[in-house]
Amino acid sequence: MIQLRHVTLEYPGAAQAALDDINLHILKGEFVYLIGHSGAGKSSLMNLILKRETPSRGEVYLSGESLRKYRGGRVALHRRRIGMVFQDNLLLQNLSVFDNVAFALRVIGVPQREWAARVLSVLAQVGLESRQSALPRQLSLGEQQRVALARAVVSDPPLLLLDEPTGNLDPDTSGEIIRLVQSTNLRGTTVVFATHAREVVEQFRHRTLTLRRGKLVRDDPFGGYAL
Amino acid sequence: MMYQIRQMWLALRGNFTAALATLTTMTLTLALLGAVSLLTLNLERTLSGLEKEVEVSAFLLESANDATLLKTVQALPQVASARIVTKGKALEQLGQDLPGILEPGSLEENPLPDSLRLTLKNPRDVQVVAAQLKALVGVESVEYGEGYVDQALSTLESVRFLGYGLVLLLLLNSLFNILSTVRVGMFARRVEIEVMRLLGARRGFIRAPYVLEGIVLGLLSSLITAALLYPAYFALTGQLRTLLPSLPLLEDRRVVLELLVGLVGLGVLVGGLGSWFAANRYLRELE
Ligand SMILES: Nc1ncnc2c1ncn2[C@@H]1O[C@H](COP(=O)(O)OP(=O)(O)O)[C@@H](O)[C@H]1O
Ligand SMILES: [Mg+2]
Repeated sequence: MIQLRHVTLEYPGAAQAALDDINLHILKGEFVYLIGHSGAGKSSLMNLILKRETPSRGEVYLSGESLRKYRGGRVALHRRRIGMVFQDNLLLQNLSVFDNVAFALRVIGVPQREWAARVLSVLAQVGLESRQSALPRQLSLGEQQRVALARAVVSDPPLLLLDEPTGNLDPDTSGEIIRLVQSTNLRGTTVVFATHAREVVEQFRHRTLTLRRGKLVRDDPFGGYAL
Repeated sequence: MMYQIRQMWLALRGNFTAALATLTTMTLTLALLGAVSLLTLNLERTLSGLEKEVEVSAFLLESANDATLLKTVQALPQVASARIVTKGKALEQLGQDLPGILEPGSLEENPLPDSLRLTLKNPRDVQVVAAQLKALVGVESVEYGEGYVDQALSTLESVRFLGYGLVLLLLLNSLFNILSTVRVGMFARRVEIEVMRLLGARRGFIRAPYVLEGIVLGLLSSLITAALLYPAYFALTGQLRTLLPSLPLLEDRRVVLELLVGLVGLGVLVGGLGSWFAANRYLRELE
């Protein structure tokens, strides 16, 4: 599903490459953790897959197609196949919880009559149906992360990118969220899950990729936390 | 669609000063354009009336060969028609034009010369033709509505030139106003726009409220212009008609309305295209 070949990403003006010669293959339907200290390059890798960034060298492939030549409307189509939880949530502050989630459906042109059912169903899954009219700033950080997750899964994307989605959650809520992600994964969605929460990676074992200062230093098919 | 309209409304409100400035400059611009167009239309009507009357007269010497001269003159490419007016005819005409000046039979001898009267295909050639006539053997002097026609023509030209030049500058100014209104509006909502892009929104979807905003601004300002210009124009022509009844004023309401409809179209076009262009540029910069 996702393939990286000799991918290097250098941000302009940065002394060191954020990602350095990464080779990687993630299969369709896999659940993969991406772990590493902060600054190791986890978000950068996600941004490459979303085509928010373009590699300085090397190629990123999705379903066998290189993303490099994608422009304009093609990028938009590409992103519609991906549900992403951003590290900084990126919720729209002037929209309610419901509207934030519905926004993902609106943007990709789902007819309005389908919104209510789909939005309420995912809000129920993340335990926030009672907060559907609240504004993001009226929610705790953990609740905001759950709204972001709801927005990422509401469109049933074939690929889910989660950038530290449990960073602000207590262990119990984390567990619920991971169960939700796992059940989405079992229905066929490929999941890439960036985290540095040891307990999560240890408790729900999946293939684990470890980044250290931009290099892929470990690819453990059976999982486990070893930084 | 409702969503896009609501977004447009938010953009307008969130950016009220810029929108108001755009609205004002566009209204002024379109009003000036309308005024210049109406003025030009009227001047042209007056002039085309004048132009039809422009006649060049060449007064001939006694010794001249009238028939040969007529042939020569008719062969000039600028000449539309030419005829001979004999001194007898001229005297008769004079008697009709100014009755009472001449008692019939009061003159022993007719003091008037024979003359050639020409009309031109294009009144602008009047000086060239006059010079050519003067050079002909047998022509004593040449007369035409000197000064009168020339001046009216050059006045029209300069009014048109200045007017449209000014309007062009102002249109550009309006366009820049729209560009910056849209830019400021999009910048204020940059987070939202970035999120839309990351979620896979197409450019057209992101652009729509801003293009709508531009169209609404263009429509609003041109409607205001039309609503001001129409009654103002007919009030003015009403006044002029009583003062100068001989002026061939443009008072056909249909023609004026058509002009104003064109103005509204132009307003919408400038508003829509300007904002479309600005929104596109902004989105392209993000990629
Ligand atoms: N937009 C950016 N511009 C410049 N440098 C960046 C940018 N984003 C990330 N970096 C740098 O790239 C490296 C990797 O960052 P990041 O991918 O965010 O790591 P992680 O998500 O693992 O914490 C860091 O050194 C960070 O400072
Ligand atoms: Mg990160």
